[in-house]
Amino acid sequence: MMALRELTQGDKKVPVLHSNNGPALVGLVTIAAHLAQEAKRPELLGGSAEHKALVQQWLEYRLTKVDGCHKDDIKTILKDLNSYLEDKVYLAGNQFTLADTLMYYGIHHIIVDLAIQEKEKHMNVTRWFDHVQHYTGVRHHLPPVVVLRNRVYTSGHH
Amino acid sequence: MGFGDLKTPGGLKVLNDFLADKSYIEGWVPSQADVAVFDAIPSAPSTVQCHALRWYNHIKSFQNQKGSLPGVKKPLGQYGPSGVADNTAADSKDDDDDMDLFGSDDEEDAEAERLKEERIAAYAAKKSKKPTLIAKSSILLDVKPWDDETDMAKLEECVRSISMDGLLWGQSKLVPVGYGIKKLQIGCVVEDDKVGTDQLEEQITAFEDYVQSMDVAAFNKI
Repeated sequence: MMALRELTQGDKKVPVLHSNNGPALVGLVTIAAHLAQEAKRPELLGGSAEHKALVQQWLEYRLTKVDGCHKDDIKTILKDLNSYLEDKVYLAGNQFTLADTLMYYGIHHIIVDLAIQEKEKHMNVTRWFDHVQHYTGVRHHLPPVVVLRNRVYTSGHH
Repeated sequence: MGFGDLKTPGGLKVLNDFLADKSYIEGWVPSQADVAVFDAIPSAPSTVQCHALRWYNHIKSFQNQKGSLPGVKKPLGQYGPSGVADNTAADSKDDDDDMDLFGSDDEEDAEAERLKEERIAAYAAKKSKKPTLIAKSSILLDVKPWDDETDMAKLEECVRSISMDGLLWGQSKLVPVGYGIKKLQIGCVVEDDKVGTDQLEEQITAFEDYVQSMDVAAFNKI
């Protein structure tokens, strides 16, 4: 039996996982990684050693740069992700991982408010986001973000 | 549809532009569509075509699952951007411009004759497949919001998200109608056989949160 609760730490709220067999676990990434192992889906944490590290890198990015970010930081986040995703389909390797899920949830509130021009400016983020939100079982209750198929602003950037 | 000749830089550019906002040729998972296009490319695209290269490397990682990917392989001309004429290069051998059709050498006569027959047949086939004229219309739509607080940018996004075969969205502008309310005036070009104004009205007014009503402001045959 497991139960997910919320704990207030300073001015932030963090999730806590209570279970019958084991200590209570605190923290978004900790809980997510634990659940992936419990569900016998270790591939969600990365296949090779290199990919495992990349998953951890982006989970850390989510916690330190994305959560609780200021409006001014949004441009930087989008720029970071856009240049990283230029030659990648997923955040870590060629398979879907926890990094993709948690980043999707982390930036959903940013992407949902982006104007068409901004979405096209960060084409790689938009492409990755559209891909992840269509992945079975990811989107759940979050509203889908509309991505236009016909490019409205002709490209002046590559 | 089609990317043109994927063995040329022109074809690769079409593929590259197509893949800028997509992870796969069709849908959201790797499929036979990706296999078909992958097999048609002689070697990895250069780093200049970053989207094609990204897709190529990703599909390459599925090499040993090629046979089991979902879907059915279609001819290359059926994939790719819509609204582009299908001029996929046939997998025939290269034209030999140095072929001397009037060569006096007996050995080559039979070969030349055969080639000439082939070319005449291909020309006749091409001529008979001349595309019929497609009837099109240019429509100007007025989309009215509920009040002056409706987010017009979102409304426009919703309208533009409607995609149908034979529908192409054009320019738009916001026209004030009074009391601070603006209506969205947006143009589109439709193929008469495929798209009707009632279908458009149905789909646009489905966005009940933003759209109060839709009218046809102007309708012109092209």
